[in-house]
Amino acid sequence: MTGFVAHNGVDWSESPKYLWPRPNGEDREFWEGARRGELRIQHCTNCGKHQHYPRFLCIHCGKTTLEWITASGFATVYSFTVVRQNGVPPFNERVPFVVAVVDLDEEGARMIAALPKLDPDQARIGIRVRADFRPANDDSAYVDFAPLD
Amino acid sequence: MTRRVCVVGLGLSDGPVTPDMSGIMLEAQAFRRALDDAGLETADIAGLASAGYGGMHEVMLAEYLGLRPRWLESSSTGGSSFEFHTMHAFRAIEAGDVDTVAIVYGNNQLSASGRTLGTGGGGGGRAGMAMPLPMAYEFPSGLTLVGAYAMAAQRHMHQFGTTAEQLASISVQTREHAARNPNAMYRDPITVDDVLSSRLVADPLHKLDCCVISDGGCCIILTTEARARDLAHRPVYVRGAAGGTTHHSIQAMPDMTRTAGAVSGPKAFAEAGISPADVDMFAMYDSFTYTVLVMLEDLGFAPKGEGGAFVTDGGGNLRLGGALPTNTDGGGLSSTHPGMRGLFLLCEATRQLRGEAGDSQVAGAEIAVAHGSGGWLSTQATVVLGTEPTS
Repeated sequence: MTGFVAHNGVDWSESPKYLWPRPNGEDREFWEGARRGELRIQHCTNCGKHQHYPRFLCIHCGKTTLEWITASGFATVYSFTVVRQNGVPPFNERVPFVVAVVDLDEEGARMIAALPKLDPDQARIGIRVRADFRPANDDSAYVDFAPLD
Repeated sequence: MTRRVCVVGLGLSDGPVTPDMSGIMLEAQAFRRALDDAGLETADIAGLASAGYGGMHEVMLAEYLGLRPRWLESSSTGGSSFEFHTMHAFRAIEAGDVDTVAIVYGNNQLSASGRTLGTGGGGGGRAGMAMPLPMAYEFPSGLTLVGAYAMAAQRHMHQFGTTAEQLASISVQTREHAARNPNAMYRDPITVDDVLSSRLVADPLHKLDCCVISDGGCCIILTTEARARDLAHRPVYVRGAAGGTTHHSIQAMPDMTRTAGAVSGPKAFAEAGISPADVDMFAMYDSFTYTVLVMLEDLGFAPKGEGGAFVTDGGGNLRLGGALPTNTDGGGLSSTHPGMRGLFLLCEATRQLRGEAGDSQVAGAEIAVAHGSGGWLSTQATVVLGTEPTS
């Protein structure tokens, strides 16, 4: 592992086991896809809409007609905060960092993510970002977002 | 004819700091004081509601209190749980399922856990605990409970131009109320500058935009109008109630500037036959300054986007003498917040309608609204109380 350095020089590459995903039949594709560097989300062939996080049925129409697609990963910040205090390890050593809720540009699904590489002073609603993948362990990765350039 | 339902008993435990009392002891003390206040005994209590601990807490509490209730309620929707309990007890008493119900909550949050609720994993992600799905998609981001509210506040500021000063004013006005409450945790006056110069916990929320953590317990007792006639105090009527939810995790909130209060408020007001202008005082779950601001809009006290101006207009509308005196006991922002505050709202609203609020009394208060907000703006419930029944 090459290391995953945040805006303030803190290395985020080690994740404690309690934060490791525990994939099952519902979401293995999401976590393993992220490990391959792909943002995998669900698309409903009945209503045409997308959703994150993965579920057994479509939150828009209720049907189970879901398939996996690879999203482009481009997104726009809907809102964000700068976490300056978090008492839980390892986050206590990572502050300050940006967490945002982003809307995927092409698919419309909304998701929450850390933006460790974004300088908190540069965080704004409406800025465009793209998915960035940070390994949790050998099998799974977290989906972060990062500034475009 | 439908049976009318009244609040007839109020009890507050010792507080706000009680290092030698367990949570259940605080609950028992508040319960006993509510019985004494109402002029009732344990044998009169046929229904019990509580929430905020693990499963079956209300059953354990019944045993501890020596009760064998035939009506139980434990809706666990975070801070709004007790407004849901009141709504459900209201319906059950109306329908004749039960006559007299105690709703009880107490927690030694401060003494047992310190001030960890907002930033120490109180959102659910304690180190070492397995992440319950679907929160596994949120915890690894490092978001805190405060941070979830902060994101919503940030969106409101972006969309409507709401300012940090307007949010801070909510804290300042609430502190003025706390100054009149000898049992409030913090009573010294503060200024907008004090709020803005307190450290940022999660942008844009400062430390003084956040509620306190305290110990404390509370109990209210509800019964029929017929039974209330024989009891110690002039009854306070439950006139309307409604609740709802839009999301659990903040990532699933459809619109961060609009909560389920926009549905529960109007529905409860319609049942009570009132409009927002009729409300004399507002007991609102002020977990954070933004929670108050968004609910002023969602419940219709101010148009959407104009909550900030409403807060500061006329020298401060949340003050005594303002258009809507709010959290007249000093609220969660300054007075008491033992993990959840929903029940204390109903207590303060009832105290005002009885005319027992002393230096904090809203003159001639006839209609009060208690509104609970739980989770991450996730669950909302509104209860309308009045000195007279809905005609």
